[in-house]
Amino acid sequence: MTTTAHDQAPAGLEGGRLPWRVGDLVFYALTAAASLATVGLVVWLSYKVVAQASGAIQKFGLSFIWTVAWDPVKQNFGALDFIYGTALTAFIALLIATPVSIAIALFLTELTPRWIRGPVGTLVELLAAIPSVILGLWGILVFGPWIAQHLEPFLERRLGFIPIFSGDPSQAGMLPAALVLTLMIVPITSSLCRELFSRVPRDLSDGALALGATRWETIRGVSIPYAGPGIVAAVLLGLGRAFGEAIAVTQVIGAGSGFPTSLFEPADTLASRIASEYQGAVSGLQIDSILYLAAILLVISLITNVAAQAVVRRFERSRGKIA
Amino acid sequence: MSSFDVTVRSAGLRRRRIVQRVLAIVATLCALAAVTMLGIVIGSVAVKGGSSLSLDFFTKPRGLYGVPGGIADAIVGSALIVGIATLIAVPIGVLVAIYLSEFASKGIATFVRVVLDVMNGIPAIVVGIFVFGVLVTGRGQSALAGSCALSILMVPMIARATQEVLALVPGGLREASLALGVSRWRTVLGVVLPTVTGGIVTGTVLAVARVAGETAPLLFTSSIAANAVNLDVSQALPTIPVAIFVYSESADPHEQALAWTSALVLISFVLVSSVMARALSARSRRKLTGGH
Amino acid sequence: MKKTALLIAALTCATVSLAAAGVSGAASDGGSKATAGTLTGAGATFPFPLISKWIPAYDQASGTQVNYSPIGSGGGIAAITARTVDFGASDAPLSPDQFTACKGCVQIPWALSATAVIYNIPGAPQGLRLTPALIAQMYLGSVTKWNAPGIKKLNPGVNLPDLKITPVYRSDGSGTSYNFTDFLTKTSPTWKDKVGTGTSVSWPTGVGARGSAGVTGVVTRTDGGITYADVAYALTNKLKFARVQNQAKKFTLPGLRSINAAASSVGKVTGNGEISIVNPAKSQPLAYPISTFTYALAPTASPKADELRKFIYWAITSGQKFGPALLFAPLPKQVLAFDYKQIKKIQAST
Repeated sequence: MTTTAHDQAPAGLEGGRLPWRVGDLVFYALTAAASLATVGLVVWLSYKVVAQASGAIQKFGLSFIWTVAWDPVKQNFGALDFIYGTALTAFIALLIATPVSIAIALFLTELTPRWIRGPVGTLVELLAAIPSVILGLWGILVFGPWIAQHLEPFLERRLGFIPIFSGDPSQAGMLPAALVLTLMIVPITSSLCRELFSRVPRDLSDGALALGATRWETIRGVSIPYAGPGIVAAVLLGLGRAFGEAIAVTQVIGAGSGFPTSLFEPADTLASRIASEYQGAVSGLQIDSILYLAAILLVISLITNVAAQAVVRRFERSRGKIA
Repeated sequence: MSSFDVTVRSAGLRRRRIVQRVLAIVATLCALAAVTMLGIVIGSVAVKGGSSLSLDFFTKPRGLYGVPGGIADAIVGSALIVGIATLIAVPIGVLVAIYLSEFASKGIATFVRVVLDVMNGIPAIVVGIFVFGVLVTGRGQSALAGSCALSILMVPMIARATQEVLALVPGGLREASLALGVSRWRTVLGVVLPTVTGGIVTGTVLAVARVAGETAPLLFTSSIAANAVNLDVSQALPTIPVAIFVYSESADPHEQALAWTSALVLISFVLVSSVMARALSARSRRKLTGGH
Repeated sequence: MKKTALLIAALTCATVSLAAAGVSGAASDGGSKATAGTLTGAGATFPFPLISKWIPAYDQASGTQVNYSPIGSGGGIAAITARTVDFGASDAPLSPDQFTACKGCVQIPWALSATAVIYNIPGAPQGLRLTPALIAQMYLGSVTKWNAPGIKKLNPGVNLPDLKITPVYRSDGSGTSYNFTDFLTKTSPTWKDKVGTGTSVSWPTGVGARGSAGVTGVVTRTDGGITYADVAYALTNKLKFARVQNQAKKFTLPGLRSINAAASSVGKVTGNGEISIVNPAKSQPLAYPISTFTYALAPTASPKADELRKFIYWAITSGQKFGPALLFAPLPKQVLAFDYKQIKKIQAST
């Protein structure tokens, strides 16, 4: 329960707020300044990132977003290749991560005795603590080769008729990138879902069980609908993480371009293209175009984040929680 | 709550039980898979990194082409950059949290919380670009710029953690202090904050564990550095995540070994900090909420 | 209460004094980026093996510690333009626009070597024969298997497997890319039309990696991979590289003799010092067609002018003796003459 100092009038001083001393004013000013500075920083950052891209925005306008091109020689740039790469890798990662995260969350809240939940839950969350550069290192030297030697040939044999699983195996490509992203999203989404499921009121699920439903039917009929919007928010937050990941992705995605139809082929996301080209871009227009990519990435992340927050706030309000 | 639809038919009971069991197995497998992946990643790092551990590794700076070196300079650089970032982020994060829990009206508090969550979601590489545009352009790279970038990532985490523990402080504590005539600021600093130091430390340690491994912001602010242990924070300093990033793409087995060993050092630090922070958090929560 | 307040105060003081120390350190140096007796440079990965030999030797000879970050030619050009470093290094010569942006920079060719075409074909020997047209086709995506008839015809007796060709290119701004694409542009009209020359181009197909280290790394792990990098990287990592056909229709390997032959066509060096020796005329039958000079980039007004002049002079004279072991050929006399003049242009800034 949240109480703030200024809500409560101490006994003996009813009918008015506590008088403010000089120290209080200074302190208030300090904390307010910190908050103002923080909000100001976010605003400044958003403005600056977009302003830095203004050279390219002026040259290409909004059509940059749907242009397929990245030619430093002909000085023609467009973002669609990377929006495609970002969307596809994030989508595949989400496709795998969402059911797996829900399953893990359910495992931890419904299926295990209490003494297992702690350690296993911590282990899953520790996956989130692994720095992305280390996941990328492992991806280049261990996971990528394994994918090229075992997973991709297997997928090609069994599912090769589907375009996204066709083609020659490659150590670097969208599939390793999507799988690495999955490893990053799962701990985030599963720990959020775990919190949601643990808050499902006991009497609701007990009631269903008393009516003869199996555990799974209770979960499907009670827990998941109850936690529904929260799960959506958790998925959105995972998506935001996937969009913004630059380092691990650039290590395993192979810096390709174009619109590869197969997941085996190299590609690039917005974040990974920025990471690989920014330091060495030599023409002003190329630098500005990379900054334009950064602005697009920022906008996408902001939208995803705000959407997740909006879902959470509506969800909590409908559950009667204090915002 | 959506309508709850379960038809109890004994004829379908066996089928439902089978579905139940299958899904339970699937859920268990998923959890096992996650834990296994964790084990594989950490195992790879431990095995490959551990096999090339040597004293040289910790005492020598980065070498030249074909000359094996170590990560002494990167360890020092990382420690300095993360340390300064913490010194910047903790006061700001704590002050913001105090504002939110002690002074802000409901509307403003919600607004600031939204902004903090937004800040948390800004990709690290965009933060790097921002700090590059503000602090590096025209001036050159520096460890201080790197610290500023990392502190931008840390502030929302510390603010949120501090805010959560401040919310757990019983209102009666504040009331008692105010009733005794203690001024607001002394109440917060002297009565409220000391009870939540554990939570603040936890939040800080978790934030440190997170930014210790951040590479993208440092690529823009502190990546062209000397091959020597250097304490001058007005210059770019080598860091462990950037070292791992550079070595990971190399063909030279020596450099790959350096990458693995650096990864081992980093991951040990991150995991130990995370586990300690969680243990600390569990303990301080128990203290605050009276063992619940 | 007192303790917490003191703690907060102490933390703030610590931050401020640390920051102040850092800032005052920079101010007292007069804005230079390192303490006296050091030079900081960044740029091409191509000459990094040679520069790595220069650094300890020059430290011994003069007491000046040189630091070099191999971030790619593009990064080097950007760094010297922003004066983030004392000198830059690039295999790609600066364009007129880049010279303008650099606001007073000199370009000094300080090493000479070749870009090897490196491949990883299990069972294939060293020195596979390739023509410029074939290499272009591989990178354009029109030749996709190693047992393509064109390659087999050039290499009778070599057992070429039915293996996919994976072209590997530099994803960062690279002078080696510039050299390689310059070569392809001058030898393949299709390449010239579709892609062109640059430190960064729109590669039609293949996999990208950062740095000469990165591309050689990918090729060691990819059967069927082919890439381009300074020949020193091929030697150090024991990778096989190709014999490339020159204009005299001879297949040559990158080596001191073939690099010298390519450089012998250089006349008097004028202007900015940009020298292109790719695809030399057929009057040089021994030449390796993908040879290149690599340049140091220094500001004409620098707080470290004295140290820079001394270092670059040492590099083009005494430093050259470290070259041959890494297949860096000695600089021709006319290039040296040009360099001496360029070095004089580095003056102390006021």
